[in-house]
Amino acid sequence: MKNKMTLLMSMLMFTLMYTSGYAQEKKVSGTVTDVSNMPLPGVNVVVKGTKNGASTDFDGNYSISVSNGETLVFSYVGFKTKELLVGSANTYNISLETDNAQLDEVIVIGYGSQKKTSITGAVASFSASGVDERPLVRLDQALVGQLSGVRVKQTSGVPGAGFQIQIRGTGSINASNEPLYVVDGFPLDTDGQPSNLNPNDIETIQVLKDASSTAIYGSRGSNGVVLITTKQGKSGKPKISFNTYTGWNETVKKLDVLSSEEWVARAMEHQNYSYVRNFGAQGATSSDTNDQRRAILGLGPNAINTGYMYDERWLQPGHPGLDYVDWQDLFFRKGLIQSYQLSATGGTDTSKYYISGDYSNQEGIAIGVNNERFNLRANIEVTPNENLKFGINIAPSFSTIDDPGVEGKDAITHIVVSQTPIVESAVGALYTNTGEFSSYPWAGSRVSPLAEATFNKRSTKRFRNLATIFVEYNLLEGLTYKGTINSDLQINTNDRFTPSWITRNRTATGSKSGDTRTSFVTEHTLNYLKSFNKHNFNLLGGYSYNVFNFEDYSINASGFPSDDVETINVASTTSGSATKSKNTLISYFGRLMYDYNEKYFFQATLRRDGSSRFGDNTKFGTFPSLSAGWRITEEDFMSSNNFFNELKLRGSWGISGNNNIGNYEHIANLSNTNYSFGGNLASGQSPANFANADLSWEKSESTNIGLDIGIFNNRIFSSIEYYTKRNSDLLLNIPVPTSSGFGTALTNIGEVLNKGWEFELTTRNITNKDFTWTTNLNLSHNTNEVKKLGPNNTPILGGAFDITHNILEVGRPMYTLYLVQQDGLLTTEDINNGVARYGNQEAGDPKYVDINEDGVITPDDRTYSGSPNPDYLWGITNSFKYKDFDLSVQLQGQWGGKIYSTFGRAMYRTGQGASDNLLDLGPRYIWQEGAIVTEADVAGLERKSPSSFGRIKNTDWLYDNDYWRVRNISLGYNLGSQIQSDLISGARIYVTMENWFGGDKYDGGFNPEAVNNSGDDYGAFPLSRSVTFGLNLNF
Amino acid sequence: MKKIILIGILSVLVFSACENELDQAPLSNRSAADFYNNETDFEQAIVGIYNALAYHSASQFYLSEVRSDNVYIPGLAGVREWIPVSNFSKTLVTNPLVRDAWDDPYVGILRANTVLDRLNENAVPDQTTRNRMEGEVKFLRAFFYFDLVRFFGGVPIIDKLITPSEALEISRATPQAVYDFIVSDLDDAISLLPSTSTAAGRPSSVVAKALLGKVYLTMSGPTYGIQGPGLGVDMTSQALTLFNDVIASNQYGDVPSYATIFRSNSENNADIVFSIQNINDGTGGDKGIGTILPTLMYHEAWARVNMPFAGGVPSDGHITPSNQVLNSFEANDVRDDFSILRTWVDANNNTSNDAMIIKYLDLADVPVDRFNWGIDFPVIRYTDVLMMKAEILLKNGPSQEVDDIVNNVRNRAGLGTVSNVDLDMLLEERRKEFIGEGLRFHDLVRTGKVIDVINAWDAVDDAAAVMSPMIPNFIIYPINQSQLEVKPGLYTQNPGYN
Repeated sequence: MKNKMTLLMSMLMFTLMYTSGYAQEKKVSGTVTDVSNMPLPGVNVVVKGTKNGASTDFDGNYSISVSNGETLVFSYVGFKTKELLVGSANTYNISLETDNAQLDEVIVIGYGSQKKTSITGAVASFSASGVDERPLVRLDQALVGQLSGVRVKQTSGVPGAGFQIQIRGTGSINASNEPLYVVDGFPLDTDGQPSNLNPNDIETIQVLKDASSTAIYGSRGSNGVVLITTKQGKSGKPKISFNTYTGWNETVKKLDVLSSEEWVARAMEHQNYSYVRNFGAQGATSSDTNDQRRAILGLGPNAINTGYMYDERWLQPGHPGLDYVDWQDLFFRKGLIQSYQLSATGGTDTSKYYISGDYSNQEGIAIGVNNERFNLRANIEVTPNENLKFGINIAPSFSTIDDPGVEGKDAITHIVVSQTPIVESAVGALYTNTGEFSSYPWAGSRVSPLAEATFNKRSTKRFRNLATIFVEYNLLEGLTYKGTINSDLQINTNDRFTPSWITRNRTATGSKSGDTRTSFVTEHTLNYLKSFNKHNFNLLGGYSYNVFNFEDYSINASGFPSDDVETINVASTTSGSATKSKNTLISYFGRLMYDYNEKYFFQATLRRDGSSRFGDNTKFGTFPSLSAGWRITEEDFMSSNNFFNELKLRGSWGISGNNNIGNYEHIANLSNTNYSFGGNLASGQSPANFANADLSWEKSESTNIGLDIGIFNNRIFSSIEYYTKRNSDLLLNIPVPTSSGFGTALTNIGEVLNKGWEFELTTRNITNKDFTWTTNLNLSHNTNEVKKLGPNNTPILGGAFDITHNILEVGRPMYTLYLVQQDGLLTTEDINNGVARYGNQEAGDPKYVDINEDGVITPDDRTYSGSPNPDYLWGITNSFKYKDFDLSVQLQGQWGGKIYSTFGRAMYRTGQGASDNLLDLGPRYIWQEGAIVTEADVAGLERKSPSSFGRIKNTDWLYDNDYWRVRNISLGYNLGSQIQSDLISGARIYVTMENWFGGDKYDGGFNPEAVNNSGDDYGAFPLSRSVTFGLNLNF
Repeated sequence: MKKIILIGILSVLVFSACENELDQAPLSNRSAADFYNNETDFEQAIVGIYNALAYHSASQFYLSEVRSDNVYIPGLAGVREWIPVSNFSKTLVTNPLVRDAWDDPYVGILRANTVLDRLNENAVPDQTTRNRMEGEVKFLRAFFYFDLVRFFGGVPIIDKLITPSEALEISRATPQAVYDFIVSDLDDAISLLPSTSTAAGRPSSVVAKALLGKVYLTMSGPTYGIQGPGLGVDMTSQALTLFNDVIASNQYGDVPSYATIFRSNSENNADIVFSIQNINDGTGGDKGIGTILPTLMYHEAWARVNMPFAGGVPSDGHITPSNQVLNSFEANDVRDDFSILRTWVDANNNTSNDAMIIKYLDLADVPVDRFNWGIDFPVIRYTDVLMMKAEILLKNGPSQEVDDIVNNVRNRAGLGTVSNVDLDMLLEERRKEFIGEGLRFHDLVRTGKVIDVINAWDAVDDAAAVMSPMIPNFIIYPINQSQLEVKPGLYTQNPGYN
């Protein structure tokens, strides 16, 4: 069928050719084959500069009319395009070479670049084309799901909030697991994510995953390295590009909580429970009216005790005087998104430039949340003579983030979910318990979360400038010196003002705080290239000096005379604080890259890092690596092979480090500990930690085996990696008996092993002239196991609130959840039989499993309940192109991990009072006065709501953190052919759906990857989804 | 080539100069490397030990006052951490209040051990000053251990600076050994300290005697068959001698008005033998010089109307004086109105009868936030010394001397005299005199009455039936789960808890 089509098209071409023919034209024919002489059907043959074209037939034959001196262009997907100058001959047989563009791609590595075919380590690469058309505020949104082995954790939906990138699992327990970010060769401060990058400016992102790639970054390499390359100037006529989009975003999900009617039913259940329990002896029963209850409670007429009595209006039709409220509907909104980007590139032989500006404005998905950003970039390069090149990259940015305090414990999202869903109609939802209005008597003491979201002023202004000056000089043939001076300046300022009328105590407070981070880095390298007899050498030596400074301050104010002036100069009381810290890093490094005829590859690196963070006994650390590669397809015995276009085996070993250990942790620090005598302040100083002069970097030893396969003319290209990563000398706050005065001591001890595999696949499924379809797929698997802990390998328990809920234990994944197990509900029979209980549990309360079989439920009944790390990560992108239309669909997800929601403590805890709202997880057992509770009564039900036994951390807040998301759908149409204009050279319109579809199993929270309180989710703000419409014009 | 050599030479110069940069000292705090060199340094290090006293008031309030028959919390919701303390729940092994009562004194002990380890005659050449310093440090160390032994019985004795691995080898000592250590420190303090305090809030040898007297009296309590604070030995004559010394020092005396003893503007009066010093410097934040104590006692709904800042006890955990203690006050007892607020009005204009303790609520000295109340917390009052003396004298039966002591106290409270005061009457008077000061539970334990008194009270006052019966195991608290997990087997848990 396909061949018939080809034939048909060929004939069509012939017809076209003849109708537009000239007198001097002659007919040229021939056969097109690949290098192994197999005929290629369907090859496009075009006379250059004309619309005159033809295709080869089934046997690879073509025929076309052409004049002498004209050029024929032969093109075919998967092969290199070939041009042929037509001479006197009438027959030209052509052989096309396989296109290894994918392999010839140049990959940025630490302190240099390499052809993809030469890579011996594990490097994932991401081309940022198309990112500019997506409404992305942060880098994580671009990377999520794109790279195998790279877990992008979107831990927060608040604009401008941080995210986490984990490369090949987590290997560190107490130090950071964040990779090192390097922008155009500039290694950023280790706690400085590249927050200010304009996605439009990014050309490519490479992620270095194994130690042979990261060891060149020494003590900062063990969590992987993310290399970001921005767009550079290209010589030629100036090209100007304008891109704009607009649309809206909204919350990905809302939580299912009790409706107002369901809340009323539950409140009455609670009242009856307390009433009968406390006054049953005086004859109280659930069916008592409010008047009967007053009599028993000894209250006067019209007096109300909300603990035992209901609101009469609940029972009246239409609940007159009361508004039933869905707080989430009022809080979340559709927010407007807009962005304008302008860039220009061009240059001559002696200078090149890329400049860009970007303004974007996003109204958040909830009231009060907004984000505005302004970015500039100039990358300029001057080449005064052939030996010298210098340039500057400068990228200032300014952004403003408004966040009235939506995320975390007791923050607005938490309150929106758990707030009593009823207010007095006379007051309304916005004003309940604000100003002169009191709270609804049956509600808790919280102020209206809507008022807080609307009137609480909290804004953050961020200024950041990245600047690099570089010089490159050819000292000798093959020997190049490169020097850079880099500076990163970040200034963050937070202003807060809470007007008195929206606080519980009607007292205004304000604050101003901020920090300044500066990073100064200078690096000098010498690079020597030498080739002889197919032996290729590339030698690099370098020196790097880094100094990081951090300063912060905060001023808190109260005693504002009014709500009218919000600056703290008018406050009667202020208190302030300011601190500074600094660290330095000095490094020497070298690298040898060798290959023989691009067939055998060998690479070795060595870095020596000295850091002020390391103890006096351990100032310098050494980080080596070795790797090798073998391109089997280059071997003679493979020359007759037609199947593999590329077959390459790679292996590597190396050691890198993690120096995120705090600036002064090895020193015996003192803290201010003051006191007063007779009303006079006395300053004091006390030991703040156990000093440790041996404190040093964490060590990460990794091995990697990789296989690259290209088949079917590289239409299918795949990489498979297997790795192990053993992190040792872990910086561990080992628990110490508090009788020592400290709860923990920071020590290099402990070991974690990560191992796993990664699979990447690129297929070009259909490559017709009008229609192409390509698929990118990645899948990775990682397992994580604690191998060693402190002395005696005593397990370390962690997790905030009540009791600990996770455990570090040898032989188990890090932070394995450690919980009491719930197994159904208690029946009256269970109680009578003396089933193990926690405190004074009753029938209808949850039944917990008595793991240690001691007849009672205690914290000792906690057991292993899954791990927070997903087993599998996956991502798949399908790109379609039909004529001037293009469509890209990206899906990604993870499965096999768990999340423990401390958010449950706010809205689904045992013993939760009647005023709060509750998660609606399904039908629950309803308490009934004096009921005999049987198995049938409670089968399949959630636990009863009123209880008085307290709480113990158990599996009721445990969820799978599996999710899938359609991260991005982009549909574009190229208007280029429709526009007849000298001014506009290209135009495109597009529509993008970001994160629109998806699903998760996390019914107890908004975001299955949320982290906002001591490593857990206690009130996450949801992620957003958006639809945007855009226009891209090129001049 | 010359260029390369030049670059090489330059590089070597630059590189070697920079490596000095690898030694960075903290910029915003001092480090021990340049500390402990002179008298000022040691004065500051000792202030650091006093700073560690801050925990004492809250821990006595929750673990002695709330634990006792002075406080009743129906606590239906059962979720506030002081509720299980109040109702004798068995599930206290993870209770944060109990945890803090163990952890916090050891912070002070570490600081004390650090000073004792570093103190030397080169740094502090003046013998008198050095003696005074050592005396204060040992007094404070004994103070911390006395808090520990009363709440937990035998605890690990840390008497010097230790490494983390050494800490993993030190298990619990017997209560007797802990007392021996306390007595030894206080004996040293008595001989090293000057006879009068060098500043309000610092101990003199007389203060150390008052504390040692209380230690002896506590040791003399019955054992109840547990490893608790009472050793069942009779050290009352030693205690009596010490109390008589305190009285004979003439440094203390009658304060005519009950309110004067506590109010901010009359702190460090003649009734205060030793107190935790606090000041309200009019600013907020955590500087370690103010206290949150008053806020721990009042109700949030009351505070919403009456306090300019957030805080207070939520309605599901109101810490209310028990009906029994409310009813025990005679008419016109000035201590009643001063210590307790019985009715109040909330923001919805509803009148509430949930009483609360307001003894430390000095409305003339309200701070800017709840953490910075300036009110002092009395630890040993002269009235207490006198009444403890009476307690010892009662071993020989009622006497005029005992009656006089009690009537003196009643007189200040605006009450008439009584006669033939026995131990029960003395305890009843102490209950009202010291309400809110965290003495009640210790008093009951020391006098051997805790089981009977609590259970009798439980029978009449526990309307919501939330209390478990008082048993001897509940005299001391369990060790926190986290400490048992550090090294399983290092500590044995106190029996009776899970």
